[in-house]
Amino acid sequence: MPGVFDRLDKEIKDKQKEGGISPLDLAGLPPSLRKIMRLMLRELQLSYPRLCEVMDGMPEAERLSRSDLDEALSSLTQQFWLIRIGEGEKAIYKVNLRRKEGSKLAAGIWSALDARLKNKPKDS
Amino acid sequence: MKGKIVSIHSFRGGTGKSNVTANLAAQVAMTGKRVGVVDTDIQSPGIHVLFGLDENKMGKTMNDFLHGKATIREIGFSVGDHPGEGEGRAKLVGSNLFLFPSSIKGGEISQILREGIDFNLLNEGLQTTITEFDLDYLFIDTHPGLNEETLLSIATSDVLIIILRPDNQDLQGTSVTVDIARSLDVPNLFLLVNKALPKYDFSVIKKDIEAQFEATVTGVLPLSFDMAENASKDLFSLRYPDHEWSKSLRGVVDFVLAAK
Repeated sequence: MPGVFDRLDKEIKDKQKEGGISPLDLAGLPPSLRKIMRLMLRELQLSYPRLCEVMDGMPEAERLSRSDLDEALSSLTQQFWLIRIGEGEKAIYKVNLRRKEGSKLAAGIWSALDARLKNKPKDS
Repeated sequence: MKGKIVSIHSFRGGTGKSNVTANLAAQVAMTGKRVGVVDTDIQSPGIHVLFGLDENKMGKTMNDFLHGKATIREIGFSVGDHPGEGEGRAKLVGSNLFLFPSSIKGGEISQILREGIDFNLLNEGLQTTITEFDLDYLFIDTHPGLNEETLLSIATSDVLIIILRPDNQDLQGTSVTVDIARSLDVPNLFLLVNKALPKYDFSVIKKDIEAQFEATVTGVLPLSFDMAENASKDLFSLRYPDHEWSKSLRGVVDFVLAAK
């Protein structure tokens, strides 16, 4: 019988599958957050102290205050555009990219195609 | 410092994108850099042909990685160890050039189309490719047009090279891609004109396109019957290094190597 943690874990995973950011959504973010998201995509994950360090290194016009950064991270996490592991100073953030959905063609078409491909002569 | 991602894109098909990508990657590898080439054109893969692979010679693919059946380490095909037949490719012996192909099996392509793609996994794969193989440059051969996997590669690129022909359809499409690349903060955005009719003045083509897009044109490659005759059987710029197409392509290498 699944425990509370199993259920919570499943709930988070389900939400991750439903949500996530698309590469085009990145374009709509403010410049400083876009830079952070881009760095996170390249590094795969960033710790909170490293995020603060990156923000501090940005041009003053783009830089977010610590409270604005915290608010932005919280909002992105709630939208499941970011995944947070751990809390506070020890938190690690990862970008959650939206899955590319499969084709909406009727299932019958795919099974027919698969059957044809399986029966394809080797030399064709 | 982590290796750079170089995405090669074109808004329309038939621009010679895979040919340019393979030749450019090979030329960069010839300078002694460690280079990878990933085929993210999962729906219609083709760059493996330029490296002498076919369905029988191909081992594990990006499709296997995306379905949890292979690690990135298992997919990397060393072109330097196995350049295959071809006078041009033979020059790559001993180079550090690795290919990460996509499957050309109909069933595996249809599986991706049917089930979709886990982009978190795809991105993890791309980044892991750089670290696992200690690459200086990772070239991404994208699907023409703007689909989601192409946008992901643009969003994470250090260098984006958009290939276009001097054709009005290409010009219009390219302006869309340029706008998107700018909105995604690609640090180095370059254009490369391919298949330009030799009767035109290439310096005028370059100047006009640079003015239209406010972006650097790294080269203007001529439309070439010799290139067409090569039919992707070999890496043209290595086989015919003195050809005008090859000389112009080598000019693009300088832009890639100089990109910050």
